[in-house]
Amino acid sequence: MTTLYVGSTGGFTGKTLVSMGLGHKFLNDGFKVGYIKPVGILPVKVNGTLTDNDAWRIYRALNLKDPLEEICPVVLTQELMVKSYLKDVKGLMSKIEKSFGLLSKDKDIMIVGGYGSIYTGSFLDLQGIKIIKRLDAKVVVVVKYEGEYIADYVLQAKKDLKERFLGVILNKVTPEYKRSVEEYVEPFFKRKGIDILGSLPHDPVIGSITVEELNEMLGSKVLCGHEKLGNLVEHFLIGAMQVDKAIEYFKKTRNNAVIVGGDRADIQLSAMETGSVCLILTGDLYPSEMIISRAEEKEIPILSVREDTYSIAKKLEKLSSRLRLRDKSKVERGMSIVTGHVDFQTIYRKLGIRS
Amino acid sequence: MLNNFFNPKSIAVIGASRTPGKVGFDILRNIIQYGYEGSVYPINPSAGEILGRRAYPSLQDVPDKIDLAVVVVPSKNVLDVIGQCGAKSIDSAIVITAGFRESGIEGSKLEAELIGRAKEAGVRFVGPNCLGMIDTHSKINASFAAGMPAKGSIGFFSQSGALCLAILDRALPDEIGFSKFISMGNKADVSDIDIMLALAEDENTKVILGYIEGVGDGRKFMEVAAEVSRKKPVIILKSGITSSGAKAASSHTGALAGREAAFDAAFRQSGIIRVHTINELFNYAVAFANQPLPKGPNIAIITNSGGPGILAADACDKAGLQLAPLHKELVDELRTFLPPVASFYNPIDILGDSGADRYEKALNTALKDERMNGFMVLLTPTATVDVEATATAITDISRTIDRPILTSFMGKKSIDAASKTLTRYGVPNYSYPEEAVSAMDAMYRYNLWINRPEKTYSKFDGMKEKASQVFENAIREGRDRLAELEVHDVLHAYGFPQPRSLFARTSEEAVAAAKGIGYPVVMKIISPQIVHKSDIGGVRVNLKNKKDVENAFFDITTHVKNIMPAAHIYGVLIQEMVPKGKEIIMGITKDPQFGHMIMFGLGGIYVEVLKDISFRIVPLSEEDAHEMIRETRTFPLLRGVRGEAEADIEAIERSLLVLSQMALDFPRIIEADINPLLVQQRGQGVVAIDARFAIGGE
Repeated sequence: MTTLYVGSTGGFTGKTLVSMGLGHKFLNDGFKVGYIKPVGILPVKVNGTLTDNDAWRIYRALNLKDPLEEICPVVLTQELMVKSYLKDVKGLMSKIEKSFGLLSKDKDIMIVGGYGSIYTGSFLDLQGIKIIKRLDAKVVVVVKYEGEYIADYVLQAKKDLKERFLGVILNKVTPEYKRSVEEYVEPFFKRKGIDILGSLPHDPVIGSITVEELNEMLGSKVLCGHEKLGNLVEHFLIGAMQVDKAIEYFKKTRNNAVIVGGDRADIQLSAMETGSVCLILTGDLYPSEMIISRAEEKEIPILSVREDTYSIAKKLEKLSSRLRLRDKSKVERGMSIVTGHVDFQTIYRKLGIRS
Repeated sequence: MLNNFFNPKSIAVIGASRTPGKVGFDILRNIIQYGYEGSVYPINPSAGEILGRRAYPSLQDVPDKIDLAVVVVPSKNVLDVIGQCGAKSIDSAIVITAGFRESGIEGSKLEAELIGRAKEAGVRFVGPNCLGMIDTHSKINASFAAGMPAKGSIGFFSQSGALCLAILDRALPDEIGFSKFISMGNKADVSDIDIMLALAEDENTKVILGYIEGVGDGRKFMEVAAEVSRKKPVIILKSGITSSGAKAASSHTGALAGREAAFDAAFRQSGIIRVHTINELFNYAVAFANQPLPKGPNIAIITNSGGPGILAADACDKAGLQLAPLHKELVDELRTFLPPVASFYNPIDILGDSGADRYEKALNTALKDERMNGFMVLLTPTATVDVEATATAITDISRTIDRPILTSFMGKKSIDAASKTLTRYGVPNYSYPEEAVSAMDAMYRYNLWINRPEKTYSKFDGMKEKASQVFENAIREGRDRLAELEVHDVLHAYGFPQPRSLFARTSEEAVAAAKGIGYPVVMKIISPQIVHKSDIGGVRVNLKNKKDVENAFFDITTHVKNIMPAAHIYGVLIQEMVPKGKEIIMGITKDPQFGHMIMFGLGGIYVEVLKDISFRIVPLSEEDAHEMIRETRTFPLLRGVRGEAEADIEAIERSLLVLSQMALDFPRIIEADINPLLVQQRGQGVVAIDARFAIGGE
């Protein structure tokens, strides 16, 4: 049995997707695969069992049969957080080891999902790097390239992990970034002896979010278009300008959701007429009936929130970086991107197993 | 006060012109043409004589004393002229000249300088940027308006010169009489308050009319208006400010209190009769100027057709007026001369074939009923009715009684002459019955106002001391709202009962707290970033056992963390479940001009949809508290519908007064609301379930 820890340079870089993709490929190549997320930060209860939301998605995507309660032995609930502030909570590491022991029985490859960066977790004395050593894992680091500081981090990780460090998988490489990644980043890492195990292109569909998820994140009210909550939103636009300018701006952006004050009927209409897939009305201002009936006609969901436009935009910026892979089609699309762009031969070689 | 404005013995027009069509010419002509009996001095450096009056090069060249200066010189010269007025001991001036605050930054500066210069020179002035002033009794028309209104008892002041012209023009053909007409312009010195006071003292003015767009000092305005309105009716047309300022105010009270609400409350509390259209302004003015006030709500309507009678009856019903039938003997008397198919009750329908005599008899019969406080005569011009004779009969009767008669002779062509007769002899005639009803209702309400007892103010001792520490802390720490537990303390200090509650950080603590309080309990998230807890799923009610509490703790904290990752969660509050009651909201808001207001509304979470709310400016009198609850549409719900028990309305009144006291105690409260405040059955008080306080300012 060999253990592969999927770590990253920070939160929300795409570890979940990469874990799913790797697991999927391993299964297809005939290996017995297990998954554990030692520390989860997204508590959820599945049929009464406390686990982590991302872990639960991977569990389902890989069709695993292990006991669910072992998949994420430590879930950072409010409860646990408060308790660990008040006094040191004991026995967490041994709980993780116990679950790992159980899950890794009869497996060829155990995938271990990190949380945050490999340095996160000192708060609970469960730093990623410590877990890696305890579980004797090899590590791939998922990198969303955003500047030199990422390189710093990767170099440091390589130094700290030594022979456990397998290499990096670059994620969310946008078309604009592609050239500089190819010309600067990859040669740089190679020169430093760091293997690039994959470079995953940015995918607008995976980066999108359904209106339903949006509604949940914003704590908003759905005013109409209940049957179209599955609409995928790829971009958010703020409707603050004059109508003629707004129309131009809305037209250019596909699958957009427009954030606009509830009393701006002109912008709301322009958005609907130019193909926006969702309206987010701010200020707790109920739109005119004309807007609602037009939206019903065009089947465009409208969400109403209490906060002002700026606060909502700020909130979305924060939230949209942590999109969760819920939708089955998005999961499949994501896994196929991973399988298509990752150098599995190198991974197998470095893990010391043969495909 | 302002005597030299209205009764000057001599007037100088500085900037008088020889050229017809120029303002400096028109004003001088108006002064001379409408029969001013004092001396008039045109001031013009290059003219020897204008309109037959000797002109002087400057004020200093006039040998005699001057009481009033009318200034028409270009704006750059106004300051000098005001200085010269001071030197010549002229203490009153009307500055017609434009080009001040209304024209931009330079103009604003000039206006500020003008105010300073006038103060130094000891000159009070109306304007600048105004139309002038008319006094029909001292026969002064110091304005450039076209025409002179008839002599009368309506005193009118207006912030808008254009509106002055329109009203003047509208009044001329109907011979509606005015006592004074004042165009206020920019109100740089003489204000609405000064004019109201002057009109209150003016013997020739019975009714004060005003058009305002805003007031300078809201508090002072209210104070003066309350005083004046006890002497004379004050009818104000205030152009609306739409409450687009609803924005994203964080508390309900803030979002609900547009500026309109502040004006409405201020007008109501100071006895100002507010109108919303120019038409209403006229309709009310002629009624108040010419007819006595109804001493009660009972109105008798006499009509020659069914439809208008029903319309009038409906309008009375909507207003506060009542249509009781006449005394039985008088109904019998009606039977002696009305056709049998007539309607003998109120409205009394004397049928379409009536002539003037039948109107006269019916009206005289109705007058015999002493319970009737006012009368309305409706007429549709049928072929048989002698419209003019009817009008004359009514005006003859009107002269002899001390109760009001209003008429609605409908139509235009065939009633025109009669309408003029009615107006001339002081019986206001309205085009439609609803207008007559609305005017009668305004008079009735005004009668209530002048006869109401002095307001009583409650004082609550010992509350402020207990809460001041909380506010001081928050202000010192520069916070703009009170934390959950501070809110609790403030409400406690002011005697608002609250559900018993305990704070818990973990599910074990929550279970222990629930046990201490006793099931069932409510759980609420506590986080400084979360203001509207239920909006984001931060409240669970009716938790019946340990398992419910544990699950709720997990659900609430997880959910909040998911949708508001930046919110810091302190823990949860476990509260007792309060027995069911009616949900109301009350709050404090602060208006930039009128200061603190108290809001009341019914509806809990529906309040923002229903918008059934009322406001009063602080301090609230007991009468205010009483009224503001009763003026909401949903008030009957508090009384109880379909066998429900009555809610504790007295406790609501007391709570409103306490809130008013709180606003007085802590001027730095910008916004507060208690929502919901649960009202129990009569005698069992209220419970504050949730509340918010925002503080700031100086």
